[in-house]
Amino acid sequence: MKHYECRNYLSLDCEKGMCAIDKVLVPMDGEGSDACPRFTDGFLCKFCKNFANADEHGIGTCSGFEKKDWAYADCGAFTCEKFIRQ
Amino acid sequence: MDKQDKINEILENRDKFRSLDVTVLEDYTEEPIPDPSPRFTKLMDIYYVMKNTIDMEYPYWYNRSWWQNEGDLPEIRRAKAEAFALEHMTPTIWPQELLVMNKTKNWRGAFCFPWVDASFFNAQAEALLAQADAPALAEADKMSVVGAGGGNVTKSFGNVVSIAQKFGLRKEEIPVLVKVARYWNECSVEVKTQEYSELIPEYYKYKAYRDSVLVMFDSWAIPQGREVMNYYLPLEYGFDKLLELCDEKIAEDLGHVEHNDCLLGMSHGYYYIAMKEMIKGLIQWAENYAKKAKFLASIETDPLQKKDYEDIAVVMHNIAHKQPSSFREALQLTLLLHYAEVNEDPQSGQSIGRLGQILQPFYAKDLREGKITEEEAIELIELYRIKITSIECFASSGVTGGVLSGNTFNNLGVGGLNHDGLSAVTPLEYVIVEASSRAKTTQPTISVLYDEKLPEDFLLKCARCTKLGIGFPAFMNNQTGMNFMLRHYGEEGMNIDDARAWMLGGCLESAPCCFQPLHYDGKTTWIPGGAGPTSGTGVHFTGLPKVLELVLTNGVDKRTGIKVFEPHGHKLDTFEDLWDAWTMYLRECIEVSLKVNNIQMDIWGKINPPVFTSLLKPDCFTKGQILTSMGGRYMGVHNFESCGTVTFVNAMTSIRKNVYDDKKYTLAEMTDAMLNNFGFKTAFETGVFSPDHREATELAPKYEKIFYDCVNAPKFGNADKYADQQMVDYEDRMTPWIYGLQNCYGKDYYMCQISVSTHGPQGAITLADAGGRLAGTTYSDGSVSAAAATDKNGVYAVFESATCYDHSRNQNAQMNVKIHPSAVKGANGTRKLLDVIRAYMRKGGFHVQFNITSSKTLRSAQAKPEDYRDLMVRVAGFTQYWCEIGKPIQDEVIYRTEYDQ
Repeated sequence: MKHYECRNYLSLDCEKGMCAIDKVLVPMDGEGSDACPRFTDGFLCKFCKNFANADEHGIGTCSGFEKKDWAYADCGAFTCEKFIRQ
Repeated sequence: MDKQDKINEILENRDKFRSLDVTVLEDYTEEPIPDPSPRFTKLMDIYYVMKNTIDMEYPYWYNRSWWQNEGDLPEIRRAKAEAFALEHMTPTIWPQELLVMNKTKNWRGAFCFPWVDASFFNAQAEALLAQADAPALAEADKMSVVGAGGGNVTKSFGNVVSIAQKFGLRKEEIPVLVKVARYWNECSVEVKTQEYSELIPEYYKYKAYRDSVLVMFDSWAIPQGREVMNYYLPLEYGFDKLLELCDEKIAEDLGHVEHNDCLLGMSHGYYYIAMKEMIKGLIQWAENYAKKAKFLASIETDPLQKKDYEDIAVVMHNIAHKQPSSFREALQLTLLLHYAEVNEDPQSGQSIGRLGQILQPFYAKDLREGKITEEEAIELIELYRIKITSIECFASSGVTGGVLSGNTFNNLGVGGLNHDGLSAVTPLEYVIVEASSRAKTTQPTISVLYDEKLPEDFLLKCARCTKLGIGFPAFMNNQTGMNFMLRHYGEEGMNIDDARAWMLGGCLESAPCCFQPLHYDGKTTWIPGGAGPTSGTGVHFTGLPKVLELVLTNGVDKRTGIKVFEPHGHKLDTFEDLWDAWTMYLRECIEVSLKVNNIQMDIWGKINPPVFTSLLKPDCFTKGQILTSMGGRYMGVHNFESCGTVTFVNAMTSIRKNVYDDKKYTLAEMTDAMLNNFGFKTAFETGVFSPDHREATELAPKYEKIFYDCVNAPKFGNADKYADQQMVDYEDRMTPWIYGLQNCYGKDYYMCQISVSTHGPQGAITLADAGGRLAGTTYSDGSVSAAAATDKNGVYAVFESATCYDHSRNQNAQMNVKIHPSAVKGANGTRKLLDVIRAYMRKGGFHVQFNITSSKTLRSAQAKPEDYRDLMVRVAGFTQYWCEIGKPIQDEVIYRTEYDQ
């Protein structure tokens, strides 16, 4: 798993974020981007029970709301009222 | 108590009331400016390594709501979509922050608005999916250069794709971008405006203007901004109370039509339903940050940081529902509103307004009750500056680089007059200027509404801040601004009270405002705020020198071969005839472009109604009317924006002198010299856009004499009436005529004299001119400052020329002055600088701003940008990091005349 998939990851920009525990910058890709042992699943659609059938681009289906619709795996879900952790 | 004691008591109370000492300071000294707070420094250390980033959260949720509510009324559907998007974005809070919220989850985040402009992405869908760098398409995009340093992502790398040469987008989000954009392929604001604009018989002419870059701007591209925020309603009522008011109005208005209100009658009820949806979204958005802060507090081990998060949670929860109960809450609420506004549409120049007057009641109460110290308030404003500096705007590279220079110019005003006609300066404004002196960031830029009634110590404090080389505060003439307001908005009912509330929308667009009564701390304070839609759209960035070039080439653009105008049919055998031909071309260009612009703004308002703005702007909520359905108090806000005014004036002066008066050359000889660039290489051939750089070709000897005469012809900015007359003639020919044109709201147009950064790209597409400027080099900056290095008689001579016409006839007039730091050193230097400002203001000059830096420093920074990450310069009406400005504008700033005494 990667830092940016962790619950404690604070987004900064397209290449890096910050660990809320250690307060250090962490890269999204390449060296140093792998999560540490304290990793906990973050709030992303791909960790939600209502998200399914993702294609090779991560585009899948969200059945959480009244009307089913497409959704994408890496979309943030911290604020989603329909988020149910897998 | 004897008589004298009584007088003393009255005087003392007067000063207490004003909270200021307004006496002239005889013994003015300057202490060193303290360092900014540790929080500011820590956060800026992170800011400096941030990349501009777009992500897809907002567009995804907006898109989902919009299409799921197909068939609903436009204003309600739009409100639901905006609210749904705000409610679902990931809230991010970083350690050390006290003020929170952002446009997106990222620090310098932005997102695309495919419902406004989808073609940019759809045209490149395949390329994007192939993860290739997105090429710029439009002609204006090609001519625009984005700065290569700082946070700009000008090239793709790793898993990041460069968009519009400025933003990075994660590769995994590209399929999402492409998928969302396709929904809007046939119904975006851009597409619909194009569809209906093409029905205008003269549309082919407009296309020629755009393809030749004679006109550089489509209004739909950034349909909001260049206006002033109005924070009144939420500060007065809080969101819960506003929801109650909506319910009351829905019960009153739904199904009810006032007598004769056949046009909008039934819409009032729908308006309040839309507002209710919008407010619910804002409440949830704030609550999400409270929830995030609580979560972060739950995993935090450092007690101080934990306390910070807990405090944030309380503040965010409170402002989600109630009228703010502290200065910090009020400041945070204005930030929330500001972010909601800049997330509604692509926009730049969303002015904060006179924040220090708006929030003074909250600050005063906290100060009195010992809930805050001045130092704590300074720290909050320092942190506020980081927040505003981090606002980014996603647009095409033409808009981002060519027009905005990467800046979103959120302007904060200080000074001016209050509702009672007295100095409006508040103690909080001292705090704002102090914080801005300590914490050097590009935004918000500060505008001093200079009035003779302002306290001397305040003006000196502002001048001292300007001396720091950060490009602000700039100084605007309050009386001239008020005169413009009364002249232009008088027909819409503006009186002296509302005129006193005026402020700049964006960098320099004087915008209509009004005062409203805030009830707080047991008293009523009249606070100013914006009272109209964008005052910075219309027929924009028309290159005046380019029009002259086209007169000389009989309508054909030699650079592209495009026939821009029909042959003019003038013999051009007199100077007056040249003026007539030029005026004819320019007016035709404006008339045709105006029709297209009116369609653009009308379609935007109809299919993409600005619902959030319509919550805040008076009198929308009172009337129950969307802003673009004539809901605003003042709607005559559109204008004609010119570019390269002084370059044009100098070219005309040279032709008058060399061709018509002295008869040294024929007009044909002059034109031939210009077409051949006086025998020099063009800026695109040399790669240097500064007017002082010349590389000769074999043709140079042939044009040596004419070039000499052109360069040495009289120039504007030297108090030379021969040259200044062309500026007067331009004003006299255009200003009254412009007032006869009508915007899409049926209100008069007016003249606007700024170029923002378009003097770079528009200079790039213009051949050499008779003033001696070479092909492709930038036009003159500003609108009344001398062209670089042509002013030989000192700054007061520039002021004399600049005020050769009444500045209150136009929305603005822009004056840039570059001063070497040694000329204004120390306390005496501050006084000297204020004297210079005062001299110009007393002559009626509207605006003056300063770059107090040396050309040597700028040249070093251009050579080694990595050593000057925090260097800032003043460009048009805003301050920008040097390394984030395109090279043509860098060259132009270096070349500006530098005063050293």
